[in-house]
Amino acid sequence: MSAPAATQPAVAHHEPSKFHFYVQIAMILAVITGVEVVLVYLPLPKSLVIGTLITLSAVKFMFVIFYFMHLRWDKLFCTILFFIGLILAGFTMFALLHLFGADASKPLSAAAIQSVASFTGIA
Amino acid sequence: MAEALAKSSFTGTRHAPAKTFDLFPRPTTKTGLIGWLTTVDHKKIGMLYGGFAIMFFLIGGIEALMIRTQLIVPNNHFVSAQLYNELFTMHGTTMIFLAVMPLNAAFFNLLVPIQIGARDVAFPRLNTFSLWVWVVGAILLNIGWLSHFVPAWKFGGAPSMGWFGYAPLTSRAFTPQLSTDLWVFGLQVLGVSSIVASLNFIVTIINMRAPGLTMMRLPVFTWMALVTSFLLILALPAIAIALLEVMFDRNFGTNFFEVSGGGQPILWQHLFWVFGHPEVYILILPPMGYVSEILPTFARKPLFGYPIVVFSGVAIGFIGFGVWSHHMFTTGMGTIATAAFSIATMAIAVPTGVKIFNWIGTLWGGRIVTRVPMMFALGFIWMFMMGGMSGIMHAAAPADAQQQDSYFVIAHFHYVLIGGSTFGLLAAIHFWFPKFFGRMVPELWGKVSFWLIFVGFNCTFFPMHFLGLNGMPRRTWTYDSNMGWNAGNLFASCGAYLLGIGIFTYFAVLVYSFFKGKKCGNDPWDGRTLEWSIPSPPPEHNFASIPKVHARDAFWYEKTNKEEIAKEKAELIKDEESHGGIHMPDQSWYPFFSAVGLLIGTYNMAQIHLPVMFGGKEILSSHMALAITGGVILLLSCYLWALEGPAGYHIHLDADGNPTDSHGGHY
Amino acid sequence: MSSHAATGHIDHHHDHTTSTGIPNKKLLWWAFLASDCMFFGALISTHLVYRLNPPPGNANPTQVFNIELTSFSTFILLMSSLLMALAVNAIQKGNIKSTRLMLLGTMFFGCIFLGGQVFEFGHFVHQKHMTLSNSIFGSTFYTLTGTHGTHVAIGVLLLGMMYVRTFKPAAGGGFLLNFVHLAAICVVMGVSFIFVVPGLIEVIYGHGFGEFLGEKAKPLIVGAIGAITLFILSRQRGEVDFGEKNAIDIETIGLYWHFVDIVWIIIFTAVYLLEYL
Repeated sequence: MSAPAATQPAVAHHEPSKFHFYVQIAMILAVITGVEVVLVYLPLPKSLVIGTLITLSAVKFMFVIFYFMHLRWDKLFCTILFFIGLILAGFTMFALLHLFGADASKPLSAAAIQSVASFTGIA
Repeated sequence: MAEALAKSSFTGTRHAPAKTFDLFPRPTTKTGLIGWLTTVDHKKIGMLYGGFAIMFFLIGGIEALMIRTQLIVPNNHFVSAQLYNELFTMHGTTMIFLAVMPLNAAFFNLLVPIQIGARDVAFPRLNTFSLWVWVVGAILLNIGWLSHFVPAWKFGGAPSMGWFGYAPLTSRAFTPQLSTDLWVFGLQVLGVSSIVASLNFIVTIINMRAPGLTMMRLPVFTWMALVTSFLLILALPAIAIALLEVMFDRNFGTNFFEVSGGGQPILWQHLFWVFGHPEVYILILPPMGYVSEILPTFARKPLFGYPIVVFSGVAIGFIGFGVWSHHMFTTGMGTIATAAFSIATMAIAVPTGVKIFNWIGTLWGGRIVTRVPMMFALGFIWMFMMGGMSGIMHAAAPADAQQQDSYFVIAHFHYVLIGGSTFGLLAAIHFWFPKFFGRMVPELWGKVSFWLIFVGFNCTFFPMHFLGLNGMPRRTWTYDSNMGWNAGNLFASCGAYLLGIGIFTYFAVLVYSFFKGKKCGNDPWDGRTLEWSIPSPPPEHNFASIPKVHARDAFWYEKTNKEEIAKEKAELIKDEESHGGIHMPDQSWYPFFSAVGLLIGTYNMAQIHLPVMFGGKEILSSHMALAITGGVILLLSCYLWALEGPAGYHIHLDADGNPTDSHGGHY
Repeated sequence: MSSHAATGHIDHHHDHTTSTGIPNKKLLWWAFLASDCMFFGALISTHLVYRLNPPPGNANPTQVFNIELTSFSTFILLMSSLLMALAVNAIQKGNIKSTRLMLLGTMFFGCIFLGGQVFEFGHFVHQKHMTLSNSIFGSTFYTLTGTHGTHVAIGVLLLGMMYVRTFKPAAGGGFLLNFVHLAAICVVMGVSFIFVVPGLIEVIYGHGFGEFLGEKAKPLIVGAIGAITLFILSRQRGEVDFGEKNAIDIETIGLYWHFVDIVWIIIFTAVYLLEYL
């Protein structure tokens, strides 16, 4: 009960409408998705494309959680709560990909075919 | 509070006339079978958790004694090799998921709402749901035992691939038995139960604290309950995925862990330990909480370095997610990964050590009263530290390569799980027994059981350090007499019997005290936290008025400022009555019904491809229809649950504090 | 009747009865979503781990995928998120009519996404011969996207329940009608994502429209009956026990829906787009 009275302004009956605001955000998201799809076909260096794709996805992600999911207008604790899970999941994924990407973890069958196959994966 | 309960829940028609969406009339009886099946009272739920857990604790103990009997002499044939595998698998699974975890859940339920000055958890019906879902999981795990008694039930005996279920042992080729499928579903269901319960406790602890109870005034046990809840919701999804993949491998022909189809069994180990390592902190953090409550009470001193103890708990929880691969040092992960996980494992010993020093600091200069709970708590510190010492030896990867899969590891984790978790739990049961049953446990018999357990435990597990270093592998059915392991095993088995006698004495004394123990008042130990301020056993509504918390040891402050508190309490009670009385949540059938649906659904889903047999004849070609029936029952119950709303009733206290209930139209 | 109706306004970002000011339900859902992050983290890891070192005989993703359709599905899911946000916006202003419309729209877009997935899975299995069990790529891909699809389907079901809930009469009763209404919603949504949407996608790819009507006649008729029932039931008048006070319920379902959307944002990049490099 952290002093609720002080943080209670005399707000009007209704929230101000965020209709146009939401529509604009959705347009931005749609445009980013379009850019992503086009990007993979452009003749750019692979590392640059991967970096851009990850950044763009992160931007979309943040737009959705902070605006559509109103984290921006909610108590900070909601953001902290969600980011605990997000960060732990991120670290776990990072660690697992490194563990399986290490030379010591390469299955022999895969290592053998890698020299001939034309696979150009995420590694 | 009343407002909080009513407003925060599903906003159906509150106190509207009875004409609502009800298929069944809402149960109102508080006693008898219906009362217990439909209860939403956190104290009753806690007792049910505790009762079931103690039952499984004893079953797991019998399994352990059978294992030790098999190993008492070389080349023994007390049990068959297959039964031995079933015994060690179910001993591990039972003790972790069906004994220690639910005993901790019992204490979360019993204590957390009272320690934070609330009348129930944030979502009372969800709490009931967690309990019955847990029971469903327990049934699925243990149902395989029945084939040993009724050969017509073809479960193929209990699961037999170890509690870790390493791939490819879980593939159809190696364990075709139905009980393995049921084990997969059982663990999945237990995971659902734990996640739901943990979400409930996170919301309860963060949102339902009494006025004045800031986070840094929370009792340490409640803090540890919060950290444990976070560990549960973040660790269990990993094993949920792993179990899902095994289920697909076994039933739908996928290749996640099938080498022939391109899968890598090592992935199971990683996913399992991503869950499994936080799990060991899930088992030990709540006992650390009990001990942090018990030591100050019997050392007559506040806890030394409260903030550091809390932060250490949080740090252990967080670092606990980054050390899982130390269970896999010998799998060949490459030097960088091995070094990184080795360092992280050594780092996690730091906050653990900090806690030990703080407990010693609490004892230092205190006036120590050696009552039974204190004996167990002191035993905890010493034994847990010994387990920690051998733990830090495993952190060094080269040394671990020698110890891997030997009895040294068995010794290590029994020192932390019995000497740590179980000692903590036994201390807690003794400490809070008077609060919830209103009777004291006889001191002499408590001490007798403590010494039997303490000596028996050390006799059992200390020799295992040497057995392990002499090369005795774990999960071994029997051994030759020329290996030099004879004396150690004989000694350990005799110790195990002593430990068994100790545990039996402990619970026999509890049963005796339940009927014949000396009656006690509100505060038999001169306690420091809020649960000691209310009657023993606590009334349904816990508090006549929601307390105002003025200091970290809330009840200690109340005892030292009696006049101020008495005046404040009278005002608060009057105030609450003027707002319509004490609001309590209504009971409900639907959590129980949805658990029944889940049981039918998962039991049949696990054997989906098999024909349904009845009286020796095939009556359905697959279990699909039955599985869907279960699913529909589950879904419908959940929907009706939502429609029914939390509703609730009011309790009014008369001048002597005696409650009367009133249902319906208040506003 | 309601305690906050008396005070005249509802603050949608603050609940004065809890210690932190965050409503209990919102806190529960955020904690659940944190947990779900780990859930999808483990699933996506499984998929990517097996992409690092593909075994011999694995399916070749770029030959299997249909990136135009997936991009369209992604766009649809994003737009459904917009409608969901608008539904929350509407109920916070107490506009029930608009809330219902937005809920229906969200469900409808969700069904288009699911229908796209049904088509995609059928296409992969029958034309590209990639099944759940004949390669590790199939195993991980179908499990990952299938689990996500299940999340979307549960979301549609929850939205359907919430939509029906908005008709709960203030006078009480209506128990049976409520179930008919819910059944109608389930039938319409089920038919649309299992039959209609995949069928129409096939029409776009050159299948005859008449043949589509002929082959799917039975489910189409059932769906039509469901749709008519839905239309009739949506014209119920009379005071309902639903309004601005229920904003938190719609908002929490919204949180779930948006979360499913952001998971797809990651899957779209990690599972589909990166394969084209």
